[in-house]
Amino acid sequence: MPGCALAGTPLADALPGINACVHCGFCLQACPTYLTLEDENDSPRGRIFLMRSLLEGTVKPDDPSVQQHIDQCLGCRACEPVCPSGVPYGQLLEATRATLREYRSTPFIARAILFVFAREWLLRPAMFFSRILAATPIPTLLSGIKGRLGFAMAMLASTGRSIERSRYQPVTRGERGSVATLRGCVMDGLFSETNRATRRVLAVNGYAIVAAPGQSCCGALHAHAGDLETARSLARRNIAAFGHSGAEFIAVNAAGCGAIMKEYGHLLKDDAEWHERAASMSARVRDVSELLAAAGPREGGPLPIRVTYDAPCHLEHAQRVTQAPFSVLAAIPGLELVPLHDSDQCCGSAGIYNLIEPETSDAVLAPKLANIRATGAPWVATGNPGCLMQIGAGLIRAEIPARAIHPVDLLDASYAAFGQ
Amino acid sequence: MTQPTPAPTQASTSPAQFPVAERLAEIVGERHVLSRPSELLVYNSDGLPGYRRQPRLAVFPGTREETVAVVRLLAAEGLSFVPRGAGTGLSGGALADDIVVIGLHRLKKIISLDVANRRATVEPGVVNLRLNKHVAPHGLLYAPDPSSEAACTIGGNVAENAGGPHCLKYGVTLNHVLAITVLLPSGEVVELGSKVGERDGYDLRGAFIGSEGCFGLALDITVKLTPKPQTVRTLLADFTSIDQAAHVTSAIIASGIVPAALEFMDGPTIRVVEDSIYAASYPRDAEAILLIELDGLEAGVSADLEAVRRICLDGGARNVKVARDDAERMKLWQGRKKAFGAMGRLAPHLIVQDAVIPRTRLPEILATIRAISEKYGVVVCNVFHAGDGNLHPNIAYSADDPAESERVHKAMTEIMQACIDAGGSITGEHGVGLDKMGYMEAIFSESSLNAMCELRAVFDPERRSNPGKVVPVHACKEWHAVPGGRLRTGTSSLTDAPEPRPVEAEPSHPSAR
Repeated sequence: MPGCALAGTPLADALPGINACVHCGFCLQACPTYLTLEDENDSPRGRIFLMRSLLEGTVKPDDPSVQQHIDQCLGCRACEPVCPSGVPYGQLLEATRATLREYRSTPFIARAILFVFAREWLLRPAMFFSRILAATPIPTLLSGIKGRLGFAMAMLASTGRSIERSRYQPVTRGERGSVATLRGCVMDGLFSETNRATRRVLAVNGYAIVAAPGQSCCGALHAHAGDLETARSLARRNIAAFGHSGAEFIAVNAAGCGAIMKEYGHLLKDDAEWHERAASMSARVRDVSELLAAAGPREGGPLPIRVTYDAPCHLEHAQRVTQAPFSVLAAIPGLELVPLHDSDQCCGSAGIYNLIEPETSDAVLAPKLANIRATGAPWVATGNPGCLMQIGAGLIRAEIPARAIHPVDLLDASYAAFGQ
Repeated sequence: MTQPTPAPTQASTSPAQFPVAERLAEIVGERHVLSRPSELLVYNSDGLPGYRRQPRLAVFPGTREETVAVVRLLAAEGLSFVPRGAGTGLSGGALADDIVVIGLHRLKKIISLDVANRRATVEPGVVNLRLNKHVAPHGLLYAPDPSSEAACTIGGNVAENAGGPHCLKYGVTLNHVLAITVLLPSGEVVELGSKVGERDGYDLRGAFIGSEGCFGLALDITVKLTPKPQTVRTLLADFTSIDQAAHVTSAIIASGIVPAALEFMDGPTIRVVEDSIYAASYPRDAEAILLIELDGLEAGVSADLEAVRRICLDGGARNVKVARDDAERMKLWQGRKKAFGAMGRLAPHLIVQDAVIPRTRLPEILATIRAISEKYGVVVCNVFHAGDGNLHPNIAYSADDPAESERVHKAMTEIMQACIDAGGSITGEHGVGLDKMGYMEAIFSESSLNAMCELRAVFDPERRSNPGKVVPVHACKEWHAVPGGRLRTGTSSLTDAPEPRPVEAEPSHPSAR
């Protein structure tokens, strides 16, 4: 582009991706914020146009309305699998946010969360406190109050509502290879039982679990917010830790984390020292459902419940893993799968979006809850902590008699019913 | 959502400077009126972003009542406007040059579905594919299927008299719209056509369909629904020469068989689609493929299938493959329908034409297009409705390179001239808009153009609805008779009276982005 107004920025680097857009508009109906806010500035085509205009200099990076439309993007990437030209929208969004960061301050809540997540010594006590709080009746009592505090309490309350199951000791021969699992931040802090279940069901299906000490937050939240430097430093720590583990596969049970870990190669593309290691690590990352589906998975004991499935955006659109979660659910005898209308639409969680842009998030969540209510299923399976808490909180606040659960927990309960 | 919007820091337009913006906001809500230049940027182009015109204001009514109130306010103020659907048009038709855009995309209710009488009434912002999904469980379909069906609106389809692959057998939008409730630019609401069938008198519904937003806008549209055919078969025939595929097209039509669709894609198009997520297993080494669909009763379709297969093989097809199931059929069609969007893989900018030629001239015109593309050193991707001779030559290029832009412009102009010389027309389904206005005088006589101006005057005597499109203003006799010309209708409380500008005629000209 002649006379680029933002030369040398991450956005200028992303120009080839912007140029791939021919403005056909096929993305419009896939975009939850366009459908909700009904303004093309809040659509993929419109935001790409704004990105191009930033580079052309026809809009300025300190223009608050431009910042607002870029901020209002959920980053669900539902536009990517419908784009004939293959515009790498997720990467463009991150590059834009990284560029705009220079021109304004990040909201306080976002800064606080990102600060804590990047520091183990703050994250552990924060998660410990959340766990203690979740174990008290306080979140449930406060889950009905209006506004973000009530919603946050409902999110916490939803984490204590998994399925009852007995303990079993998995026996494995490890014939399918060695696996290290990502502990994660929220998964480790609030869904530790799901993390244990992940290791158990992988073991049952022939994977040998190996430890990967020294791992950290995946950096997805930082990258989505445009803090690429922190994201890169977290990525390097994980590449070192998982490299050292020697595991053949890296299993991730949080779709958002899996998506960025599969893209570490891109994140570190300009880092001569780390790029190759990043790309080779990315190639070994699998969503837990992919590893299970590759193994069958083994059928469990009967679990006669009705379940509907909601696809996490970062599994469905970013990782393009669409069928594997159904294989997991199909391995559970007695489980009745009820189809969910628009299950590929975002639930409005989008990392910390639901805390930063609460009104849009609520508007995106509303049709999701209505569709879940229409299924009549008491369980909603979805494989990402953000979605588990967003949908879980929504169900509590809308008084819908259903609970959100990770598919791995259902498979684990099925194996438990068998005594493995 | 009422997101607090901080005060703009750069030069911008505050609503206070434009009282009409405030009054529009009272009708539709503050959030649904855009007046800051930076927010209006994305509304400065449609699906053909070589053309850009910056609107002054954009307003998005959410109900029929709001729409009527908006248009009446604009009428009272003497302000011009452009109705806009999803902005997927390919002729620059929905561009508003310093006037008001009325976005109708929020009017997206399917008002009624009458299965027994096979009709539905919808608001103009209903997306074509959504209507089809809504009626599919009842064994019905809405036949016109433009390639942009996943995004374009029924209102936009009516404005452009949209076509699509299946219009070969089923006809275009005009053949599927029974009645329209039209909001005239004056604010008056009139019913055109009839939901129950033909009525006597002049067909004003027919005049409105394809009027490209120049006659007003639709508040609701009653469409005819078609029963799903009993059997559908889709064939893919591939050729090592474009010429063979062109002759086979003519031979199929000459045989008397009417396929539901008969689509042509050339080698460059095949390869760009195969690189995309809509890869449809088209043979990458083919120079042309024909995608042929036959539908109807099982017995007839089977016989036609054999006949078409024979014509293809006799005409030199390397392979003729029949889709095994619906999933494979859909894949073959998705590749075709998303081909336009996939061109972004070749170069950042794209222009596309829409000429219609007599089908018997197809082999000769395709050869001419190839010669022109070689002469100017540009790559033309041909993907088009071969069955009705509706060509879509696409050229991907970089508008940042002035020399390349110039060559592309010259090549497209020559291609269009060749089509006109062959007895063709300049648009099959994309509309004239801004893009093809410069060709209007080449194909219509002065008296025809005058008749068009006079017809328009019946609907929009003040020329406030989508001014400066379709018919070049200087071609209108009575326009010259009006003192002040465009000045009169351009005058508004929005702006000081601008100098009347000549309407640009930049046929196919990819003005630099």
